[in-house]
Amino acid sequence: MSCCELGLFFKRFCFKLLRFAFKSSKKGEMAASNEINLNDCKMVVPLNTWVLISNFKLAYNILRRPDGTFNRHLAEFLDRRVPANANPVGGVFSFDFLIDRGTGLLSRVYRPATGEEPQLNIVDLEKPVTADVVPVIIFFHGGSFAHSSANSAIYDHLCRILVGNCKAVVVSVNYRRAPENRYPCAYDDGWTALKWVNSRSWLKSRKDSKVHIYLAGDSSGGNIVHHVALRAVESGIDVLGNILLNPMFGGQERTESEKRLDGKYFVTLRDRDWYWRAFLPEGTDRDHPACNPFGPNGRSLEGIKFPKSLVVVAGLDLIQDWQLAYVEGLKKAGQEVKLLYLEQATIGFYLLPNNDHFHVVMDEISKFVSSDC
Amino acid sequence: MKRDNNHLQPNPDPSSSLCGGSSPGKANLWEEEATQQDCGMDELLAVLGYKVKTSDMAEVAQKLEQLEEVMCNVQDDGISHLASETVHVNPSDLSTWLESMLSELNPPSFDPFGAAGKTAPMGTLDDPFLGGPAESSTLTTLEFENNNRKHQKRGQQIFEEASCSDYDLKAIPGKAIYSQNTRTQPQTHDSSSSSTLNNVKSEKRLKSTSGSHSDIFPPPPAVSYGIPTDSVRPVVLVDSQENGIRLVHALMACAEAVQQNNLNLAEVLVKQIGFLAISQAGAMRKVATYFAEALARRIYRLYPQNPLDHSLSDILHMHFYETCPYLKFAHFTANQAILEAFEGKKRVHVIDFSMNQGMQWPALMQALALRDGGPPAFRLTGIGPPSHDKSDHLQEVGWKLAQLAEKIHVEFEYRGFVANSLADLDASMLDLRPSEVEAVAVNSVFELHKLLARPGAIDKVFSVVKQMKPEIVTIVEQEANHNGPVFLDRFIESLHYYSTLFDSLEGSVSSRDKVMSEVYLGKQICNVVACEGVDRVERHESLTQWRNRFGFAGFSPVHLGSNAFKQASMLLALFNGGEGYGVEENNGCLMLGWHNRPLITTSAWTPANKTTATSTITN
Repeated sequence: MSCCELGLFFKRFCFKLLRFAFKSSKKGEMAASNEINLNDCKMVVPLNTWVLISNFKLAYNILRRPDGTFNRHLAEFLDRRVPANANPVGGVFSFDFLIDRGTGLLSRVYRPATGEEPQLNIVDLEKPVTADVVPVIIFFHGGSFAHSSANSAIYDHLCRILVGNCKAVVVSVNYRRAPENRYPCAYDDGWTALKWVNSRSWLKSRKDSKVHIYLAGDSSGGNIVHHVALRAVESGIDVLGNILLNPMFGGQERTESEKRLDGKYFVTLRDRDWYWRAFLPEGTDRDHPACNPFGPNGRSLEGIKFPKSLVVVAGLDLIQDWQLAYVEGLKKAGQEVKLLYLEQATIGFYLLPNNDHFHVVMDEISKFVSSDC
Repeated sequence: MKRDNNHLQPNPDPSSSLCGGSSPGKANLWEEEATQQDCGMDELLAVLGYKVKTSDMAEVAQKLEQLEEVMCNVQDDGISHLASETVHVNPSDLSTWLESMLSELNPPSFDPFGAAGKTAPMGTLDDPFLGGPAESSTLTTLEFENNNRKHQKRGQQIFEEASCSDYDLKAIPGKAIYSQNTRTQPQTHDSSSSSTLNNVKSEKRLKSTSGSHSDIFPPPPAVSYGIPTDSVRPVVLVDSQENGIRLVHALMACAEAVQQNNLNLAEVLVKQIGFLAISQAGAMRKVATYFAEALARRIYRLYPQNPLDHSLSDILHMHFYETCPYLKFAHFTANQAILEAFEGKKRVHVIDFSMNQGMQWPALMQALALRDGGPPAFRLTGIGPPSHDKSDHLQEVGWKLAQLAEKIHVEFEYRGFVANSLADLDASMLDLRPSEVEAVAVNSVFELHKLLARPGAIDKVFSVVKQMKPEIVTIVEQEANHNGPVFLDRFIESLHYYSTLFDSLEGSVSSRDKVMSEVYLGKQICNVVACEGVDRVERHESLTQWRNRFGFAGFSPVHLGSNAFKQASMLLALFNGGEGYGVEENNGCLMLGWHNRPLITTSAWTPANKTTATSTITN
């Protein structure tokens, strides 16, 4: 066993012991989702993080309709957005690019400022990268396939940090969202973005005249990373690595972590079910391979040249069993995967730099992206 | 272990400033948006778009908990009420937003089903008034009074689905505003006295307490010119082709040569641009052509003839109105704010700084006509530039509006004012009535920036506006900084801006409309690039800069809410399926953009220390 596998084994053993001590207080989904265990919640995250994530939770409750439709206008109104900024701030500048007119697919490109001039001309935006090796991280924001955009403040902020942290160019894809655009739209958009990035001459590393591509994403973005990587493999585009932050996976079965953590740390099974119903093709269930890639309808990746993966799992995320199963699935197929299990982390810990998990993860990502030099 | 993570954080804007004192209810918080450490705002949340004071954090957390509990009890009905009925305002101010929702769900007499009855504001406009170029006369002012007391005849109105609040305008389809119609003589109607019930609102309006937490302004600048420029430059690139890049290179190089007064080089380069432009396609070619022409004018000192024939100007304006949603968005959002400000008022007076053909007003008049309890008496003062032939353009417009008012039974009074500049106005000219008798709204669409060409003009206008004691001042302006002191910077900014704008026109169905709109915008480009001094009137500034100006002049913001946002979004869907266009909320203002690039902004203001004067206003 590798070190991290050992750590994982130990942690799961501990949880199994703890589970016996837990009261099982769930009587049906309704009770579970209504049970407010705010004290637990508040103790594991800083107060401003708690406020941030609780605010999202509250707003999202208002936006989801029981009939499966989504209040898109109110969602767009409430989402805090920031414009792109061609003026460097904190050493990073950004601009939006219309990749595909047909679908209106925009991406926001973040680049490190080289420090030459304060004002960048429009021509400088696509100036070729100068270093020998420049990682290009294609980022897919989270939001359970329905919320947020590339220009959401939380994701603009995160991408800027990634640029500095990894000395990378980051391309954040504004993929089409559910329920208006179901599977496979998000994957199609991811694929379009990948092809676009791969064909930009100004993103080619000097060393080998190739674009050094990594895929990264959180929540639904993590799910998109997996599926876009699959397409890349099938089409011969080289992806050097996948980074999945609290990736969104699921299945028909109710796992132990789902039952145990339902409603405890900002997330309920009920809302997870809603988002899958909104994204997956109508009439399918959560064993659809988009949701459950190594499930009954999934396929083995044995023998496939799949990129190495870094998977970050939060110990207080109710879908962790699915995320861990994903890691297992990759391992069984002989794929290279590193699991970073953060015991006391909740969803969204990476949105604010006010906790240790954030820094641990940023370090790992930085190493992951530079290790191909 | 916490570590120094400064390298991971974007640096705060170095031009931050200390905050001053604050007083509740007044917009006297002077803060720089980027750094709030000195004023106790949680930095981390601020970067993510939420303004919460560190000292308020626990209280905000408490409100979140309370809301969660209430929502669990209220279940789906209450939640859907919050989603569809409630008007949300300024979500960045978490504390106030949460408080509003709490009071929405927990009022003493809570009625989640809004049993007070809804009326839909307006249907599609079936009373268009004549379009077309105006004949003009030499009269400088004209008064129209519609002396018939009108009351609302509900049977004649068209109602739409009741999913909006009482005071929402409906999205106006394009051609409905202007269509050919024969003139009719004003008819006399039998009038019966209208009931003067106070309007009953069935929905609660969530207002963020103006000025408390959410409105922050930097300290007043020393001079009215030289407002610190915005440090954010949003750019969207569409298509990067080889030729496009060379073309842009050439444009930049030429502008740089002009900046350095190297006119020989500039001359050579401007000719190159011409050749390169031909090989381009679409929007880029047209934009480059206009910029090249403007550069040429600057180089050869062939400044554009300023006075544009009025009728041509009107035609261009109208085509622009039809081609793309910018003007409609402007009118729509401004009208929404005015409508809400006029709630409960019996007599209202709109002073329009941007009268043109009066296209903004039919929609507002229609909405007022459909108001609960009947329309107010509506007075309109339209201000416009002089015409060059002997026609009285403003009179024509007023006449048409009077006819409309007649049809929809709104008591109407009109006055047109010709003025070379808004700064020529004095409050005494406007026949203002006491504010408890008549509520005033001041409206300006794409006019205010022109005042920045003359020192002191904008300040004069601000002062006159305050004398009008308006309930609301609605402003629509281009979202760009085309007024910086350095020519090259202005050139680059405007190149980005108009490239985006032209790109958005490409999808237009009517090629004639498109061409006219391009000419309309081309004139602006020419002014920005070729003119200087008092001739350069297209001095666009960004929302941040306008916020500074209004704050300094003693105005506080009035926030536009989720209802206006939603209606504006629906309006956009009428244009080419809405593809590419987007509305964004920004601290109570609404921005319309193309592919994420904000292009125009609607904001609303009110004098910060409005007092209800008992004496008359005339001076």
